[in-house]
Amino acid sequence: MYRLALNMLFGDRAKLAMLLCGLAFSALLMAQQSSVFFGIMSWTYTPMVNIRAQVWVSDPMVEQVNDAKPLRDTDLGRVRSVDGVAWAAPLHTSFVQARMQDGNFKLITLVGIDADTFAGAPAVLTQGRIEDLRLPDTVIVDEWGAALMGRMTVGPDGKPRSTPLKVGDTFEVNDIQARIVGICKVKRAFTGGPFVYTTYDRAKGYTLGARRTLSFMLVEPQKGVTPAELCDRIERDTGLKAWTSDTVIWSWGERSLARNTFWWFWTNTGIPFSFGTAVLLGLFVGIAISGQTFYSFVLENLKYFAAIKAMGAGMGVIARMLFVQAFTAGLIGFGLGAGMAQGIGRAMIEKGMPPFVMYPQILWATFVLVLGISFVSAIIGIIKVSRVDAASVFRG
Amino acid sequence: MSTLAHTIAVRASGVDMFFGTPENQVVALQQADFEARRGELIMLVGPSGCGKTTLLSVIAGTLTPQAGTVEVFGQRLDGLGQEELTAFRRKHLGFVFQSFNLIPTLTVIENVMVPLLIQGRPFDEAHARSLAIIEKVGLKGREDGRPNALSGGQQQRVAIARALVHEPPLLICDEPTSALDKDTGGHIMELVRDLSRSPERCVVVVSHDHRIFRFADRIAEMEDGRISRVVDDPKLLDSTHL
Repeated sequence: MYRLALNMLFGDRAKLAMLLCGLAFSALLMAQQSSVFFGIMSWTYTPMVNIRAQVWVSDPMVEQVNDAKPLRDTDLGRVRSVDGVAWAAPLHTSFVQARMQDGNFKLITLVGIDADTFAGAPAVLTQGRIEDLRLPDTVIVDEWGAALMGRMTVGPDGKPRSTPLKVGDTFEVNDIQARIVGICKVKRAFTGGPFVYTTYDRAKGYTLGARRTLSFMLVEPQKGVTPAELCDRIERDTGLKAWTSDTVIWSWGERSLARNTFWWFWTNTGIPFSFGTAVLLGLFVGIAISGQTFYSFVLENLKYFAAIKAMGAGMGVIARMLFVQAFTAGLIGFGLGAGMAQGIGRAMIEKGMPPFVMYPQILWATFVLVLGISFVSAIIGIIKVSRVDAASVFRG
Repeated sequence: MSTLAHTIAVRASGVDMFFGTPENQVVALQQADFEARRGELIMLVGPSGCGKTTLLSVIAGTLTPQAGTVEVFGQRLDGLGQEELTAFRRKHLGFVFQSFNLIPTLTVIENVMVPLLIQGRPFDEAHARSLAIIEKVGLKGREDGRPNALSGGQQQRVAIARALVHEPPLLICDEPTSALDKDTGGHIMELVRDLSRSPERCVVVVSHDHRIFRFADRIAEMEDGRISRVVDDPKLLDSTHL
């Protein structure tokens, strides 16, 4: 009977198309909005991705990576003395205004790294050398920042255009010159400011007036010591907070600074509510369109279902037929919707805006929700068919 | 057991059937008695609202009467639950409906296969048996077409094939010719009559169509929810009363 049930479904192409449109649109909306949401949320812990170290140490009151509470410089020595620490390097992060040559101001994320070890330096430099940071007044700017902070010039067509900054260009931070010696490739941040790398000592100069400039300490464990073990030791011996650098937000554990940052934004901003509303909208639209279309499909076939009942099919058989029809439509609708979401996502990734991260969990959740829509649709149909009297087939 | 008992296919005795609320009750059947024999084609006739369709539904086990007994090929229906009635219909009954009730999105052969698949027969077996009966009703070569590509007579032949594919002993036909012209209706009734000529089968036809009364072995006339008379020779029935 299931084969016939499918033939009944595929035989009515107009209804099938409508049903698939509803399910696909719903799947698209849920998958796409969730992926953009997780893309934006992945920007919240961008420093953890761009500044690489196995263990991060912060003030005990720090809740997330964008909210550094300055430490004393002497804390670095205390951490270095903890058993199991291979090395520890200072890190400064702050948001400061940069004054461009044309007089414009741009907010930047200033990152000061240890000049001896370059711990926390960007992984990919597209122009320049990291060692050049040891030269006076030098910085490395990220690619996107170089474009954002570019100079406004007049093009051959007479229209103004922005020319990206390049090695050798300069700008000012707190009236101190910053000369670009490299362009790096890093992930963009939620806060929007370009990443500008310099040495830790020079960063102190750029943030005049700040009494404390040590935002975090980047720590490497000795061989045989796990990051989690080292975190325990640092916290026990220094009273500071130590974090692991893993960015898998799905796993449990309080050690990951990225995960804590993710959940901080989850609970303290309206972003989840906003995107959650869109996802719920997708779910309700899916239920409304698919439920209505499937119900109309059942209504059109009601007299045939009544005939099948009269011929001796129990409600169990008919219910399974309706489930097969609804779930098949759900599977196809999910495939179409998820495929479209992937396509849109690829286009977004190429443009870089808005951020798009489609975790497998998003696909699974969308799959389950679409099957839920199919289930609801099938139940609506089953209720209708169950109320049909088999004797009604004799009433013309 | 008497010889007569062996020849009875359907027996309904003292059947009462009411619809609606006690304050607003509609009497459909009142002490209705009906018998159909094996190997015969019996027609139920009468004016609209006389209870033909209700009696047919009671015999088919799609309605349970408030009083009386119903026996079909030795099986009492009045004590059966819904699941048992469903199983009974699945095995023992074939239906031909007034408006054919062929599923338009399925092919001819798929429509015919439905009763066998409901019985849980394997797809290949159902396909082979359906093909054979489609050939028997004269529609060979049309099995892969859709029902709405066929004429009314051909569609009713498909409906008959569907009703018989699982070889039920009782064939129930509800106004089988009402949607057909005289000649086509005649051909269909010839086919139905031929099918009734088996000691293991009985055909009950409900009809308003006096043009087909000549195909009946007996005609049971209904009036006010009961059988008013049974005519052994259809020619004796004055159709102007119907």
